[in-house]
Amino acid sequence: MKKVKICIGSSCHLKGSRQIVEELQYLVKEHNLQDKVELGGTFCMGNCVNGVSVTVDDELFSVSPETAKEFFEKEILAKVG
Amino acid sequence: MSNLGNKTSLCTDAGYMSRNKHGEQLCGDHVEIIEKEDGTLILVLADGLGSGVRACILSTLTSRIISTMMAESMSLEECVETIAATLPVDPARDVAYSTFTIIRIAPGGGEAEIIQYDNPGVIMLRDGKLLEFDKTMSTIGGKKIFRSKIKTAEDDVFVAMSDGVEHAGIGGRYNFGWKRTDIAEWLEGLYNVGFTAKTISTILVEECVKLYGNEPGDDTTAATIRIRRREPMNFMMGPPANPDDLGKMHALFFSKEGGRIICGGTTSQLAAKYLGKEVVPVLDYSDPDIPPIATVEGVDLVTEGVVTVSRVLEYARDHLDENKLYSKWNTGRDGASRIARKLFEEATDINFFVGRAVNPAHQNPNLPINFNIKMQLIDELADCLKKMGKRIKVSYF
Repeated sequence: MKKVKICIGSSCHLKGSRQIVEELQYLVKEHNLQDKVELGGTFCMGNCVNGVSVTVDDELFSVSPETAKEFFEKEILAKVG
Repeated sequence: MSNLGNKTSLCTDAGYMSRNKHGEQLCGDHVEIIEKEDGTLILVLADGLGSGVRACILSTLTSRIISTMMAESMSLEECVETIAATLPVDPARDVAYSTFTIIRIAPGGGEAEIIQYDNPGVIMLRDGKLLEFDKTMSTIGGKKIFRSKIKTAEDDVFVAMSDGVEHAGIGGRYNFGWKRTDIAEWLEGLYNVGFTAKTISTILVEECVKLYGNEPGDDTTAATIRIRRREPMNFMMGPPANPDDLGKMHALFFSKEGGRIICGGTTSQLAAKYLGKEVVPVLDYSDPDIPPIATVEGVDLVTEGVVTVSRVLEYARDHLDENKLYSKWNTGRDGASRIARKLFEEATDINFFVGRAVNPAHQNPNLPINFNIKMQLIDELADCLKKMGKRIKVSYF
């Protein structure tokens, strides 16, 4: 089970964490990965400047709504598929 | 001691709404609400003769004079005589005329005194049902004035109104206007929902406007007082400026009686740690612009900080003014709506615990958040809540 946490704190929210959450929720469902990937939210990780902060099993990434799909393919799909 | 405790645990919630006669710039109805330092509440609803500027002046003078004099504990006779001597006379009708309703509630939601002159009768609900109360008539300065004294109980609701309410629907849906007993029955349906006095007044006036076919034939005003139990609420936002004060801040916050709201990511993480619990964000965007809420066992509500509280402030300002957004926060599942319901509807006494730490992650010119915005938000929110009649205490750490 891969644990993916998206920061929903103030800064990341304003930088588009909702779009990323929705995009990842959609992609996980489309690839039928519900039992392999657990999506969750987290409050501020203290990395606001590089937000939106996303962790995959505690490894930190910077994602934007534009790079969400690419991030999913590279860091999630490739590693569980 | 227990008796005293019971008495002081009641308080009042008062609010009103007016809609102008269609095409008028000014309202001929005027409401004044004064809460004296000892807790006595005085509400005056005046309806000036006619409409437009003259009516507006008459009703404003009437309600201001009565409420001010009553607050100074002057007798009703003196108030009425002063009005008669002061109001400008209408040259067309040769009278100076403004009808009025006065409701005075003794401190701690005690006895209600109702004084009525020519407005539609005050509707009183007890346990959600219309309660007709006794009136005695006296003539003061040639005016027939009805007085009542009622021992109040928790959850009593008093609704005063101008005749614009009873005239709603005349010639349209209701041939003879909206009947008092029908208005009362309609109000009974709003009881127990937990609406604020302001919202009850708003919904009643909105219904009248609908009955008028969106073009009110008269100035239409409703003013509501609810007798309610005091309900404390504690609101924490921001970590303390000095990290050494964290323990003290938490100990104070969690020892207070009443509900608990925590705003801010870092703030809730620290509080969860203090409680030995987890912060579990709920990834549900019921309002796309408001960050999701989270849960922490032992805390009633956990939300994000600045973005959410900015929206709460927007709702607070609107609630004091036109109250157009109440249906949004009354039903919303997002953090801002939930805070609004807790602060505006549930709470009567709110303790703010404001931490003045500067979030190092936010001190960047590329971020639209900064420390000053946060402090300003709290100040303005506290100010709005005071205007709603809440008792507010703000402590900084």
